[in-house]
Amino acid sequence: MKKLDSAKTLLPLPLIRFRLPSPLILLGFCLAVALMLPLLYVVFSAMTADPAVWRRLWATRVPELFLNTVSLSLGVAVINLTLGVSLAWILTRYTFPGSKIWDWLLILPLSIPSYVLAYTYTYLLKRGGLLEQVWQTIAGPEAVFFSPFSFAGAVLVLALNTFPFVYLLTRSALKNFNVSFEEVASTTGANRVTTFFRISLPLIRPSLIAGLFLAILYVASDFGAVSLLRFQTFTYAVYQQMTGRFDNTAAACLSLILVACAFVFLFGERWFRQRSRFYQTTGRYRKPVPQPCRPLTTLLFTGYLLLVFGASFGLPVLLLIQWTVKAASAGEIAHQFIGYVWNSVSLSGMTATAAVICGIPLAYLACRRPTWAGTFCVQGAYAGYVLPGPVAALAVLVLVSQTVPQLYGTILVLLMAYLVHFLPAALQGMESTLQQLTPNLEEAARSLGARPLRTFFRVTLPLVQGGFLSAWILVFVQCMKELPASLLLRPVGFDTLAVRIWLEASEELYQLAAAPALLIVVITIPVVLLLMRKDRT
Amino acid sequence: MPRVFFFFFVVAATLSLPSWSHAEDSLVVYSGRAERLIQPVLDAFQAESGINVQMLTADSTALINRLQMEGARTPADVLITNDAGTLERARELQLLQPATIPGIEETIPSRFRAPDNTWIGLSGRIWVIVYNTTMVGPGDISSILDLAEPKWRGKIAIPSAGSVYLQTGVSVIRAVKGDEVTTAFLRGLKDNAGSLVYGKNRQIVAAVARGEVAAGPVNHYYINRHLAKHPNAPIASLPADQGEQGMGVVLNAAGIGVTVQTKHLEQARALVRFLISPKGQRMFAHVNKEYPLNPHVTAAPELLPLQSIQVARVPLSRLAQLRDPTMTVIEEVGLR
Repeated sequence: MKKLDSAKTLLPLPLIRFRLPSPLILLGFCLAVALMLPLLYVVFSAMTADPAVWRRLWATRVPELFLNTVSLSLGVAVINLTLGVSLAWILTRYTFPGSKIWDWLLILPLSIPSYVLAYTYTYLLKRGGLLEQVWQTIAGPEAVFFSPFSFAGAVLVLALNTFPFVYLLTRSALKNFNVSFEEVASTTGANRVTTFFRISLPLIRPSLIAGLFLAILYVASDFGAVSLLRFQTFTYAVYQQMTGRFDNTAAACLSLILVACAFVFLFGERWFRQRSRFYQTTGRYRKPVPQPCRPLTTLLFTGYLLLVFGASFGLPVLLLIQWTVKAASAGEIAHQFIGYVWNSVSLSGMTATAAVICGIPLAYLACRRPTWAGTFCVQGAYAGYVLPGPVAALAVLVLVSQTVPQLYGTILVLLMAYLVHFLPAALQGMESTLQQLTPNLEEAARSLGARPLRTFFRVTLPLVQGGFLSAWILVFVQCMKELPASLLLRPVGFDTLAVRIWLEASEELYQLAAAPALLIVVITIPVVLLLMRKDRT
Repeated sequence: MPRVFFFFFVVAATLSLPSWSHAEDSLVVYSGRAERLIQPVLDAFQAESGINVQMLTADSTALINRLQMEGARTPADVLITNDAGTLERARELQLLQPATIPGIEETIPSRFRAPDNTWIGLSGRIWVIVYNTTMVGPGDISSILDLAEPKWRGKIAIPSAGSVYLQTGVSVIRAVKGDEVTTAFLRGLKDNAGSLVYGKNRQIVAAVARGEVAAGPVNHYYINRHLAKHPNAPIASLPADQGEQGMGVVLNAAGIGVTVQTKHLEQARALVRFLISPKGQRMFAHVNKEYPLNPHVTAAPELLPLQSIQVARVPLSRLAQLRDPTMTVIEEVGLR
């Protein structure tokens, strides 16, 4: 090494080593800073808050919110685990008429936004509602079902909304499972139950945990469902402090706590994942072969699947269809409806385009320049991941009002909040697409004299456009569903579909909220299926 | 140029075109009221005057924050809230401008407007108790404080802590009875309500009508609106704390103010004039079942006459100062 260095100094070239950072790094750096600034601003305003505000929050809100958020996450995790593992087990280990179709249907709950599911359940679970009537025919006329506006209600709705995360990851783990381990257990005398708990479950643990982490992150940052069910979590409390108080300090303080917890959680996940890795040690690998079922078992399984699917997707969507038809025939669908659709679609389209364009230099940095500066930029851009919607909105709001107040109340602010919030999702997809492309192709183009930009447009982009397009679609759909930031930052006359759903649903005007809700579900379904298909091949 | 990139640009460009142009010529109303209660009145104004109205609905407090943040660039011409305290707050923050309206003295009594008319009350509402007639007997409840008695455990529905009605109600109780009584009352209320915390008055009335709970505090007109739709619902309205020693019911006003920054002063004034005119007031009275503040307009016949009800003697303009300490008391008790 030393020798090489000294050899280099003989040449007139070393000056190049001190040249300015490349335009790419500069661009990436600017983007990362722009994306991190809102978060830093929230942290700053929380740190400089009046200690009295902190004391008030610790004394009145924080313990309750912490307990609620944690218990909600745990409750959802337990149900997710039960549903996800049992469903994945049934559909990977057995084959029966319809099992292939169920495999697809169980993804569909992901296409229902949490607030839509919550609002259908406020109807289903209300006193004297459908579920209580059913329950009373079973348990007697005096029996009461739990209220949707309770811990149980919130757990139920969010679990039904997130179990596909655990299901999907468990499913793929079970599909690639080596059955030899189980066979060894059976030959040494373990029965099926013991084998499942002692051998199979520990082996799929990493996927299980990954799924659970996803679900918990989703629950902790959810605003839509908890606000409609009025279950107090940190995310909801941030929104309440922003809309119920005359200053945003308390909201910033709660955000800081939430973000700190999210960081701890994310690092915890990394640590967990690194500790629990399993490797195939020998060459002997046998795929599980699904067993055919007897009629009775088939009936049992179908009933169970029907129950879960009906509760998480079938029943809510049927209700939405029924309400939409009713509202349409009563002429209740507002004449501004097309306008709301247009607002949602145009804003989501713009954000998705902006996210992909901003994502290009960052993805490039991540894949082609893994220097410390590049890594810094990319990690900075991921900061939005830990920001739940109301916090992202607050962050952008505070930043804009302190720096460029002219922008406040314009659509640009909303766009910024979306971008901070959803760019990480786009970036993840783009990064992995770009990663698969060998740099040799670009190097070949460069060595043939093409300049970097030309290389990018003529060589790289045509090869990665498929992946970039799915990133675009992903962001588009997320934006269509986005609620808290739209609610807080929308300009005058810019109600989106999600905002309309929430406004109508929070007054329990079920029919009026149905048409926009149904539309969002219909738009999301093909996207969910598309992304899953890519995942499976 | 690769197709996909081209596609992105075309999509972005075409989609963004209509979004940048904000309708410059329309009157922008920031409204803290439930859309259903204000949209019909604004529609009527639009039909009569030909002035295009755009409305942004949000929490009253959030709208004040927003006006403050937007400063000179606000698109808002008019602020309508469901609570006089919020309007007074907006006046203190100099977000609203004073107005001279000829004949205002005869149209809206002075206790329902700011001295310089920066805000003007439009409709009155009293905070009453709605109760289920099969579950609550006569004389069971006479004061709002009775709702905190242990015998009502699990039977009382309350509004969420973010509700301005609750905040106003608690402010008045604090002003009359002091912090100690108020805190004890809120503790009892919290225990009685448990998870029966509702975001909207509508929901409390519906819950009482279904018999899920026995009683709850709401604005009176939600009861009358419910009864207009379901005449046989077993609910009734109880103005609490009447009589010689009584504190009186909380009377609040929804009102309107014209922003300092408006660029449509004439149109904004026209809206104010329309809303306090007999025609506008009749809509508040008969569509919403609120008390019209214009003495020339009579309230809906099914309402108790306002003159017969004893009202708490806390001026509306004081509500603004009471708000922040009230919020702290509410949060300390841990209402949600």
